[in-house]
Amino acid sequence: MTEVLLIVGILVAIFVGFNIGGSTTGPAFGPAVGANVITKLMAAGLMSIFFFLGAITIGPQVVETLGRELVQDPSIFTMQSNVAVLFFIGGALFIGNYAGVPASTSMTAVGAIAALGLATGELDWAVMGEIVVWWIVAPIIGFWVAGVVGRYFYPRINAWIAIEGNGGGREMITIDYSGFVPRFRFGENATRREITGAFAVVGIGCLMAFSSGTSNIANAIAPIYGTGDVDMVPLILIGCAAVAVGCFTIARRTLDTLGNDITNLPLTAAIVVAVVASAIVISLSIIGIPASFVVVATMSIIGLGWGRATRTTTLSGVRAGEETRVSVGALTAEEEGEQSPEIGEEEPEDIPKASDLFDPSTTARVILMQNVVPAISTVGAYLTFRFVPIFGF
Amino acid sequence: MVSRVLVPMEDSEMSDRALEYALEVYPNAEITVLHVVGEPSQMWGYATGLALADDLEQAAAEHAKPIFDRAREIVADADGDAELETHIELGNPARAIINRANDYETVVIGTHSGSVADLVFVGNVAEKVVRSAPVPVVVVR
Repeated sequence: MTEVLLIVGILVAIFVGFNIGGSTTGPAFGPAVGANVITKLMAAGLMSIFFFLGAITIGPQVVETLGRELVQDPSIFTMQSNVAVLFFIGGALFIGNYAGVPASTSMTAVGAIAALGLATGELDWAVMGEIVVWWIVAPIIGFWVAGVVGRYFYPRINAWIAIEGNGGGREMITIDYSGFVPRFRFGENATRREITGAFAVVGIGCLMAFSSGTSNIANAIAPIYGTGDVDMVPLILIGCAAVAVGCFTIARRTLDTLGNDITNLPLTAAIVVAVVASAIVISLSIIGIPASFVVVATMSIIGLGWGRATRTTTLSGVRAGEETRVSVGALTAEEEGEQSPEIGEEEPEDIPKASDLFDPSTTARVILMQNVVPAISTVGAYLTFRFVPIFGF
Repeated sequence: MVSRVLVPMEDSEMSDRALEYALEVYPNAEITVLHVVGEPSQMWGYATGLALADDLEQAAAEHAKPIFDRAREIVADADGDAELETHIELGNPARAIINRANDYETVVIGTHSGSVADLVFVGNVAEKVVRSAPVPVVVVR
């Protein structure tokens, strides 16, 4: 009986891993695929590899937190309850993936496990509190760091990176298998600089995949690890295999929905966001905190755009009717002592202002809605454990 | 006699129908098609992408072009001699439409957009417009 349940548990864990692969490939490789730098297939392959690297190195820290520390008594991770916990995590993520509503897999998983702890009275509130505090602090850090970059450094970084998307035809980087040793093949007429840019975009995808591995492997395997029946390493291998399956299958859909939204960002912005968000997520994983990657990334995106939009100089440039391709940027424009328009010379309110794009209540709604999927998993799991009497609590 | 009509449009079948309806019912009116760009999206990529554009106005116009092209097609199909004006606003669609509506006598709007994600992140725009617009609103389905 126990063995059957263990197998069912692992199967549900695989379902969770599959959905994690789906939901993280979009944000990580959306820019690279959207700019036609690599194929979806190659994105899936890279995602699988770097997710595994993150999971096997730093991942165990977070697995310990979720599997052993979040609940005071890990014996509540019976095989029955594990199947239910994982079912709620996987099911909620699946709904999110399908509807194109991004969700933090960590919030979804912590929610379901905490619900189990709450229903049985075994939740360790100190650990839970620490995690929740980081869920609030990390996105704020992401917002401010990206905001400062957007306001003061973005044009400089942009001029330095200078990558244009590749319009059509063959992807920028493909692998040539015709020779004895497979080697990279680059798009026609690609300059050295474009190739560097292409590698940068793929590189940030790999970085995000790695950071996702450090934080998200726990979401699929922590409850089963909590039983103590299976060791860490085999579980990580199974989890990563499941994630890989998700990368090659359902990720095709999320690359079109979530990936597509990220593709709206200029590649420089995608790089800035990836670096800021990944740094935060990896740091938290090292101290064993499951980070809310999607929320951190979104707040970084908002911060970057808001920082850029609230500079006043862009507008005066537009108003003065001069060449508005601000490539080297507003900072230089400011240093050169550009005159602000005379009073009365300003045009009426009709001119679109970038700051109109960042209305606090609208952004709050987006962040709030990103919590819908975790909420489904938490509430569903709590009600199940509290009122369905088959778990023996 | 209604002479100034605002038709907020986006890339959806419902807003096509709203424009068709407006052309049919107000054949002599001056119709303005309004498109809001940079509305909220799953990870805010759309709005930030616009904010980072070298030239915001130009980027907004590019995003709105397919919508306005479609609107002109619909007008041509309807054989109307209605004058079509176009206007672009930024940000929160419902708020932009409501702000703009003051200058018009009627707003004609489609019931909803297509995707679940839109409904989750942007909300039902038509409902908000009906609730808060300063002028009569016709909701087309």
